[in-house]
Amino acid sequence: MNKEQFERALQELKAGKEDIRPSDLTTFSEPLRSALTMAVRIGRISLTDLAKQLELEQQQAQQIAEILIARHLLHISSFSNENEIFYETRLSAMTRPLGRPKPDIWERIDH
Amino acid sequence: MSKIVSVHSFRGGTGKSNVTANLATLLAMDGARVGVVDTDIQSPGIHILFNLDEADMVHSLNDYLWGKCGIKEAAHDVTGHLGTQVKGQVFLVPSSIKAGEIARILREGYDVGLLNDGFRDVVAEMGLDYLLIDTHPGLNEETLLSIAISDVLVVIMRPDQQDYQGTAVTVDVARKLEVPKMLMVVNKTPQAFDFEDVRARVEQTYKVDVVAVLPHSDEMMTLASSGIFSLKYPDHPIAEGLKAVVSKITG
Repeated sequence: MNKEQFERALQELKAGKEDIRPSDLTTFSEPLRSALTMAVRIGRISLTDLAKQLELEQQQAQQIAEILIARHLLHISSFSNENEIFYETRLSAMTRPLGRPKPDIWERIDH
Repeated sequence: MSKIVSVHSFRGGTGKSNVTANLATLLAMDGARVGVVDTDIQSPGIHILFNLDEADMVHSLNDYLWGKCGIKEAAHDVTGHLGTQVKGQVFLVPSSIKAGEIARILREGYDVGLLNDGFRDVVAEMGLDYLLIDTHPGLNEETLLSIAISDVLVVIMRPDQQDYQGTAVTVDVARKLEVPKMLMVVNKTPQAFDFEDVRARVEQTYKVDVVAVLPHSDEMMTLASSGIFSLKYPDHPIAEGLKAVVSKITG
């Protein structure tokens, strides 16, 4: 990721306050979208692999991971150790406390 | 390593549940432990194909989503209901067919993340080789979740203009979600159509491999979801087509 892509990724992620929904994945720019779809499919990703997928330094990848944790897509896994942070992925579609998602799916997919 | 397979179509009536039930059975006949989840909460039906009576449904997906049980408790071993010996096993997590429970879950909604958890947990806890997700037609957060976590997406369509246009949306979304393997099945094809022309047109339109063009079948209509077609008609072109899909799933 170049600087512009990194800034855009941070902006995209910070723009939403709700949990990251499945439809959100279709709206993210690359390489963020590919990295996240891969992580979601596997169910788990290390910070090292996340940084590799995003083509970022670890510190920058951790910035992204922190926003993803705040938006409940990533959770620090019990597999984490002193050498490596592992994250587990969990897509959801409701805010906390529970509520129905906005009916704007077509607008999002058409983005 | 376990595989998650979503069976999806943009529109209803394409034959998803029948295809899902048949794929699960064929995989089990090859010795696999197969789970099936009916995520079509609004209009569940695959339990009928597996002869699972409402009275025998101890727990449903609805109960799991409400926190009344773990996902494993909602998984029913339907292998014995198939009516034939198979080497493997089929477990079904049905959705409730009770009108009040369907209405409640639609009214209250639920956290799609619980589906995410449930899929992973049922694979791990039941030692599944394959988890097949029978999805609701069209695109919603639940179907997008299924596609996002799947290793294989089987897209079912009919050779019908409405299906052609809608399937383009599904294929586009699946590409954005980078599904590792996408397989197209054209179902309910009239005998009057040239099957190779249909295959070529669909492949050219979507740039996706068409694994099978299945004929519209009086035998299927007569069976009327009372059982698994591939067991009753193992040499039928539909059964042969579904075996080709299984081969692509396992390959």
